[in-house]
Amino acid sequence: MGNINSKGSSENTFDAIVIGSGISGGWAAKELCEHGVKTLVLERGRDVKHLIDYPTMAKDPWDFLHRNDLTQKEKEDNPVASKCYAFREDAMHFFVKDKEHPYIQEKPFDWIRGYQVGGKSLTWGRCTQRWSNFEFTGPQRFGYGWDWPIRYEDVAPWYSHVEKFIGICGSKDGLEAMPDGEFLPPFELNVVEQHLKESILKNYGNRYFVHARWAHLTQPNQIHLDQGRGRCHARNLCQRGCPFGGYFSSNSSTLPWAAKTGNLTIRPFSVVHSIIYDEQKQKATGVRVIDTNTKLATEFFAKVIFVNGSALNTNLILLNSTSNRFPNGLGNDSGILGKYICHHNYRGSLGGEIDGFTDSYYSGRNPTDAIIANYRNLHKTDTDFIGGYTTYAGARRNRNDGETYPEQMGAGYKESMTEPGPWTVYSYVQGETIPKEKNHVRLSTDKKDEWGIPQLITSVEYDDNDDKLLNDFFVQTEEMFTKAGVKNIHHSDSKQAPGLDIHEMGGCRMGNDPKTSMLDKWNALHHCKNVFVTDGACMASTGNQSPSILYMTLTARACNHVVEEMKKGNI
Amino acid sequence: MKRRRFLSSVAILVPAAIVSTDVLFSSCNRRVDEHYFSQENITLLDEIGETIIPATTTSPGAKAARVGEFMKVYVTDCYTAEQQSMFWEGINKIRKLSKNKYGNEFSKLAVSQKQDVLRSLENEAKNIKKSNKESSATQFYPMIKGLVVFGFFSSKPGATKALRYIQTPDSYQAQVPYKKGDKAWATS
Repeated sequence: MGNINSKGSSENTFDAIVIGSGISGGWAAKELCEHGVKTLVLERGRDVKHLIDYPTMAKDPWDFLHRNDLTQKEKEDNPVASKCYAFREDAMHFFVKDKEHPYIQEKPFDWIRGYQVGGKSLTWGRCTQRWSNFEFTGPQRFGYGWDWPIRYEDVAPWYSHVEKFIGICGSKDGLEAMPDGEFLPPFELNVVEQHLKESILKNYGNRYFVHARWAHLTQPNQIHLDQGRGRCHARNLCQRGCPFGGYFSSNSSTLPWAAKTGNLTIRPFSVVHSIIYDEQKQKATGVRVIDTNTKLATEFFAKVIFVNGSALNTNLILLNSTSNRFPNGLGNDSGILGKYICHHNYRGSLGGEIDGFTDSYYSGRNPTDAIIANYRNLHKTDTDFIGGYTTYAGARRNRNDGETYPEQMGAGYKESMTEPGPWTVYSYVQGETIPKEKNHVRLSTDKKDEWGIPQLITSVEYDDNDDKLLNDFFVQTEEMFTKAGVKNIHHSDSKQAPGLDIHEMGGCRMGNDPKTSMLDKWNALHHCKNVFVTDGACMASTGNQSPSILYMTLTARACNHVVEEMKKGNI
Repeated sequence: MKRRRFLSSVAILVPAAIVSTDVLFSSCNRRVDEHYFSQENITLLDEIGETIIPATTTSPGAKAARVGEFMKVYVTDCYTAEQQSMFWEGINKIRKLSKNKYGNEFSKLAVSQKQDVLRSLENEAKNIKKSNKESSATQFYPMIKGLVVFGFFSSKPGATKALRYIQTPDSYQAQVPYKKGDKAWATS
């Protein structure tokens, strides 16, 4: 497996190793370092320092050669990445180039990745709704998948812990389907959004169009100022990196915070080949790392390892961590590892026009959407499908497109396009998908990447539950909007492959029973108790809410458990 | 925030003609290089642009926004071979029509004559669309018109003088009184 370059094990020994510096890895670093744990963070990509490494953050539209559209060459070179809405001139340096990181699509799967310090926390969508107990109990109540080993009450205090630190804006709505949290003031609704909210409440009574919860500092608290972050200025250019640190990223927040403790070491250009398992001690002792520049292999050692490489990479690392004890991957006695991969159904969008409200407009660029919290299959199955969905929705006045101006050239035509047009309403779905054994990832037996690590095979597809959920979103949303006076309603099914949602999860799920799950209630591998998985791989089901804040929450909770166990001498 | 997927990042509606990847001209699969964009052609594009989006008392036009230069880069790098083929066919149509109807190059025509040349292409596009129900992507005029509009309103003069643009607002204000004549924001 290449040259071993162990520079004396003491230099390479830490209390903890965190694989990955993204949204959950950054949190592991922060929590562990704050508690005095000497932590090595291994990041496979380059370093990205807050502010210094945001090359496009201060650019105007005309500064981009193609006005932020993609060239044919960029599309041809990156058939997968170029499908992502954020893969544009202004942010493509934060996404992997397809050719550099091949994988095998047994069925169509758009795997969107960001390999740099901060990972996808630089480019994420920033929506942060809490799960409710409907999501934690869904699989058990409706008979899909296996029960979560935790409930909302277990994570509620950790949600608060995370929310206070990263800064979440939203309104307290008292909804059973989406619990309130620790909120900064929300981005306000514009007049049409206000109207939609009132109409939906009046016509349905139990459907709630509300401010969603977003990781933006509308009004920073002292803790945020202490992080060196400031107020969000509504530029809506987040994916470039923010000059104010106005949204949460590892780069602006958790990593510098961890570094301040003096306990953090970050090693970029370090891809993890496998976790080292000591059959005598019956625990993991470290990781094998390949330097992505030199291709040299090195080993690092620690008492505890957090695997936060992003859902599918975490699966890959564990599958590649074989030994006599674990021939099928670390901790994989159950045979579950890599299976029950799921994602979010992002195929549906629906919109229309609405008359009136023309004496109102807005200023600043809202980087958020409102949402209609999930209203399906809460207490019981009241539809022909299982699971729920979040509906993102809102209204805008786009610039008049001039299509109806009688003369399609000249001064009048130009002037007609300089004013805001009529109000339009939009919506898109984030639908739960049901974990199934056949949706899986596994290692290629013959193809390797340029560092000698087996390529990942992805085998994930939609099912008819997804089609039914999608149809319900179309029918219900059209009805709600129509009652609110929205007309010329059109909808579309993008038919996009799984993965483009960038919410792929599972493969290493939590559960009470080691025969049907990989992780215990603390996110430790059942069969290797000093290895923790707290990124998307740990999810036993998908819920309908945006998942990143749950990953951060589970990470904070698991880290504090680890610190307690270390104090007791158990780790 | 995923909404970005469904709206243009520059708050400009780019007509389907520009982003369509329909294969319409299978005979031409050679990508055009910048050679076709001679200075003469760039000047012609500026003139076409200025006819569609002229300078007014309140704001500059397509020429000041250098849409010809922009179209050179955009057509070369972002268009498929088929789209480029359609683009040049259209440019040649404009040249021909100017010569045949007015006996002169497009750039040398009077404003009303230039408008007349483009108007006849616009009408031709409309009629074909009505009769054959073919996608407007097959017609040159909507393509170039859309390119001019896109290039103008995303340019510095267009965004800052014809529209309102602030790189860094102070904050988001959701409900601001609007009166007729207030300019739209250049970006969303």
